[in-house]
Amino acid sequence: MNPLGRFFNRLRPRRGRPSAADVEALRIDFKARYHAFKRLLAANNKALAIMADIEHMLMGRHPFGMSFVRASTTALSVNVFNMIKHLDQLSRGRYQALYGRFDDIQARIEGVLTHRKTTPRQDLIVPFAAVNKDMIDLVGPKMANLGEMKNRLGVDTPEGFVITAAAYELFLTANDLQAEIDRRIQKAEKGDISNLYAMSSDVQQLILKAEIPAALENRIHQALDELARKTGGATLALRSSALGEDTPDTSFAGQYRSLLNVGLDSVLDAYKEVVAGKYAMQAITYRLNRGFRDEDVAMCVGCMAMIDAVAGGVMYSCNPVDKSDNAVYINAAWGLPKTVVDGSDACDLFVVSRKNGLRIERRDIQHKAEKFVCLPEEGVCRMELTGDNQADPAITDAQALFLAQAAVRIEDHYSLPQDIEWALGTDGVYYMLQCRPLQQLTKTGKRRPTAKAMPGTPAVIAGEGITASPGAAYGIVFPVHKSMDVLGFPEGAVLVARQALPVWASLLNRAAAVVTEQGGFAGHLANVAREFGVPALFSVPGVVETLAAGDAVTVDADNLSIYKGRVDALLDVRPRSANLMTGSPVYNTLQQISRHMIPLNLLDPASPAFRPERCETLHDLTRFIHEKSVSEMFNFGKDHDFSERSSKQLFHNVPMQWWVLNLDDGFRHEIKGKYVKLENIRSIPMLAFWEGYAAVPWEGPPPIDGKGLLSVMFGSTMNPALNAGVRSRFADRNYFMISKNYCSLNSRLGYHFSTLEALVGERASENYISFQFKGGAADHDRRIKRVGFIRDLLGEYAFRVEVREDNLIARVEGYDTAFMQARLNILGYLFLHTRQLDMVMANPASVQHYQRKMTRDIESRFLGSKSA
Amino acid sequence: MDPVAVLFVDDEADFVEALIKRMRKREIDAYGANSGEAALAFLADATTAIDVVVLDVRMQGMNGIETLEALKRKYPMIEVIMLSGHANLTVAKEGMQRGAFDYLMKPVDLDELLYKLQDACQKKRLNEARRSNSSTDSFP
Repeated sequence: MNPLGRFFNRLRPRRGRPSAADVEALRIDFKARYHAFKRLLAANNKALAIMADIEHMLMGRHPFGMSFVRASTTALSVNVFNMIKHLDQLSRGRYQALYGRFDDIQARIEGVLTHRKTTPRQDLIVPFAAVNKDMIDLVGPKMANLGEMKNRLGVDTPEGFVITAAAYELFLTANDLQAEIDRRIQKAEKGDISNLYAMSSDVQQLILKAEIPAALENRIHQALDELARKTGGATLALRSSALGEDTPDTSFAGQYRSLLNVGLDSVLDAYKEVVAGKYAMQAITYRLNRGFRDEDVAMCVGCMAMIDAVAGGVMYSCNPVDKSDNAVYINAAWGLPKTVVDGSDACDLFVVSRKNGLRIERRDIQHKAEKFVCLPEEGVCRMELTGDNQADPAITDAQALFLAQAAVRIEDHYSLPQDIEWALGTDGVYYMLQCRPLQQLTKTGKRRPTAKAMPGTPAVIAGEGITASPGAAYGIVFPVHKSMDVLGFPEGAVLVARQALPVWASLLNRAAAVVTEQGGFAGHLANVAREFGVPALFSVPGVVETLAAGDAVTVDADNLSIYKGRVDALLDVRPRSANLMTGSPVYNTLQQISRHMIPLNLLDPASPAFRPERCETLHDLTRFIHEKSVSEMFNFGKDHDFSERSSKQLFHNVPMQWWVLNLDDGFRHEIKGKYVKLENIRSIPMLAFWEGYAAVPWEGPPPIDGKGLLSVMFGSTMNPALNAGVRSRFADRNYFMISKNYCSLNSRLGYHFSTLEALVGERASENYISFQFKGGAADHDRRIKRVGFIRDLLGEYAFRVEVREDNLIARVEGYDTAFMQARLNILGYLFLHTRQLDMVMANPASVQHYQRKMTRDIESRFLGSKSA
Repeated sequence: MDPVAVLFVDDEADFVEALIKRMRKREIDAYGANSGEAALAFLADATTAIDVVVLDVRMQGMNGIETLEALKRKYPMIEVIMLSGHANLTVAKEGMQRGAFDYLMKPVDLDELLYKLQDACQKKRLNEARRSNSSTDSFP
C-alpha cells in the first residue's frame, strides 16, 4: 500500500482522537507533501522562465548557439519531469498517463535535436580533378567551387586534393572529440568574452594534440605522393573549406584558417591546425552570431600546390556596395594575395567597366609599403618594398583586362556576381585560387549631407578613405592594437585600428562602426562588416593618431567623413536591424523544437479536454500538473478530519467570507476550532495581499448608467459559466492556501474569477507572483476594456501581462521580499477596487477618473518608502 | 537544521576544490571526490553522514549514471544531484528515472545550487523522519 493509503487507514478506523504518535506522523506527512508541492511550484516557475527565455530568443534579435538550445531544452525537460514525479506523489499515482505523454513529446524533441546531415560519401580524399560543385557536402563549398572552375570551366587553378568531411568525422570520432568540445562550449558560452577566449584556445589545443587515425594518415600520404609526381614536390597551401559556408548571405570571409607554403613533411600538423581553426575566436563568434550549428560545420581542407605569386589580390565581378554598378573591381598587390585579403597594407584598385566591351574606367594606384613572399623551405614572410615597386602598379592595364575577362566568365557560369581570389604565378599563368558568391548591397537610400554642406559642424576627417561598408553611426572611439584589446571592447564603440585584420571581425556584433588606416573593400573584414551592416571606413591616413580613445564621433562611411560628437542629421532613423539569427540553422532548430514545448492547448480546466492525453506540449504538461497539484493540495486538506489541517474561516472583527487552509507553517500556532484570526496568520504573501485589500475602503459600486445595468443583466443570462450550478467546488468562496512563504487564492466574487499564487521568501530568484483574472458581468466589450485597464495599470509596476479575450494573466518574478510585498499590496488593492468597474468602462471620462485615483492610491500607499 | 553534508564528485579536481571552498563559506559541510569509485570509497568509510551527492556525468572510470546507480543501491536515502557540463536530453532523463533529485548544468549559479542542496537535504530528512516514525516507505 502506498504511504497515503496507510495514512488514511491510520485516520479513519480509529475511534476518538488519534494518538500523539499518529499526529506526529501526520504532521511529517503533511510536511513532506507540502515540501513536494513547493518543489513542484519551483519547477513550474523555472519551466515557465525557460519557456519565456526561448520565446525571447525566437524573436531573433540576440545571437545564440546550439549550447543554448540544448541546455534550455534539457533544463525544461528535467523540470517538467520533476513536476510529474511530484504530482505522482501528491495524487497517489493518479496521473500515470503523464509519463507516457512526456516520453512522446521528448522523443519528438530529440528527433529534431539529433537530426543531422549525413555525409553521403565516405571518401577520405578526393583529387581536384574529380571535384565539382555538386560535391559540396563532401568537400565543402570553397573546394567544390574551385573544382567547378577547374573541371567545368577550364580555368587555371593549382593542382591538389581535398581532405573531406568524411575524413573530418573520422578524425573527431577516433578521438571522441565532439562531446568534449560541446561540453567546453556549453561552459563558456554563458560567461563573458574572456571565457570564450579561454575555451577557444583550449579546444584548439585539444585538436592539435589529437591523433590522426592511421587510415586517414595513409590516404593523405598516398595523395601527397601522387601530387608530388605532378608538381615535382612543390610546397602546399592548405585552405579551409568548411561545410555550412554555402548558405545565402553568409560569407564566412576569413573566419577560418588557411596556411601558406607548407612543407610536405608538415602537412599532417598543418591539417590539424586548419581543423583547429574552426575554433578560432572570430570563427566561434561568427557562427554564434549567424546561428550556425557547430556540429554541422565539418572542416574540409584543400591541399594545393603553392603558387609563388608575382602579384595577387581579390576581384569582384560587380560593385559590392552598389547593385546598379556592374563594373569589375580588382584589388592588386605585389607578391601573394594575402596583403589584400588581410587588409594589412594599401593596395591598387582597377575598375573595369563592361560598357561597350571591357575598358579600364579608373585606376587608383597606392603607395605600397610591403609584400608577402614565400620563404624557400616553408612559410611566408613580409618584405619591405623598395624604390619603384612602391609606387608602380602591381599589374598592368592589360593584365587587369585579362583578369576582368576571367571574372566575367566565372560570373556568367554561376549567373551570380563573384568574389574571386587570384594570383599571377612566376610562370606567367593567372591562377584562380577561390571563388564565392559576392554579396551585393543596394546603395543606401538615405542621402546624407556631405561635410561641405554642413558648415556648422567641423569634420575631423573629410573626403578621405574608402567606403568598405556603407552607412553612418555614432559611438565612442576604442582603438584596438593587439588581440587582447578585444576583451575590453565596449558595446556600441567605434573600432579604430591600424590594419583591417580579419581577427577584428569578432567585434562586429558589438561595434557601431569601423575605421582603419589600411585595407580595402575586398578584404575579409570589409566583407563581414557589410554582412553585419556595420558602417566601415578604411584607408584613412593617420586616423589612429587623429582619433583618441574616448572621443565621441560620428562616422559617415558613405561620404568618407568623421565628425566630433553626435551628428543626428547623418544617422539613420532606425538603428541597423541586422536580424541575423532568423532563418539560420540554429534558429530553425530551436523553432522546430519549440513547437513541442511552447504552445498551450489546455486552457480551460473545466473542459473535458483538460486531461493528460490532451497534453501536446511541455507547456500543456506544466499547465495540467500545476492545476491538479493545487486541487490535490486543497482537497487533501479538506477531505479528511484532522482538524489541525482543515480550513478555517477568517475572523477579522466578524467572520468573513474568506477561508484559509494552512499547508505547513502559515499560522503562528496551531489553531483549534473553526476560525482563524488575522493576527494568527504569518503567511508573508497573504498578509501583503490583505494589507493592500484593506488599505482603502471600497466606495461601493460605481454609479451605473442605464446601459451598464442592462448589459450586466444581459451578460449573466447569456453566459452559462456565470450560473451558480456550474461553480466548481472550491471556486464558490474565497480560499487561501498558505504557508509562511506561499499563498494561493481562488476567488469568485460576483461574476469575477481570480486566482493568485505567490511565493515570497529569502530566495529572491525563486520568488514569483502569478495573477489571473477573468470574467465580469457586463457585456464582452466592457469586460475586455476592464481587462485592458488592469493590464495597463499592472504593466506600470513590473508585471508582465498577457491578455486573451477577457482573461488576464500577470506575472512578476525574481525580486526581493519588499518588492514582492508591494506588488501583492497592489493586487490586493485592485482586487477590491476593480470590482464592477466593467460597468463604467464605456465612459472614457470615468475611466480616466478611476485610472488617476488608483494610480494615486497605489503610489502613495504602497510605493512611497518601499522599492519602486 | 544541521548543516547540509555534501559530497562533490567530479574528475576536474580544480572545480571540486573551488566548489568546496565556496560552499563551505555558505555553511555547507562540503567534501570532494575525483571519481565515482573514489566517491563510493569515501561513503564506505565516511565518519560524517552525507546528505547529498553532487555528481558529474562525464568521468573517467565509472561515469555519472553508473555511479548514481551504485549509490542508490547502497545508500537509498542519500539524494543525488547530477551536475553536467554536457546538456544531453537522454542522459538527463535516464538520471531522473534512476532517482536523481535533479539535473543541473554547468556553469551553475551558486545560489541555485545551494537551494537545490537545501531542498534535497530537506527531502532526505523528511524521508528519514517518516521512516523512523512509522514503517512507511520513503517517497519516490
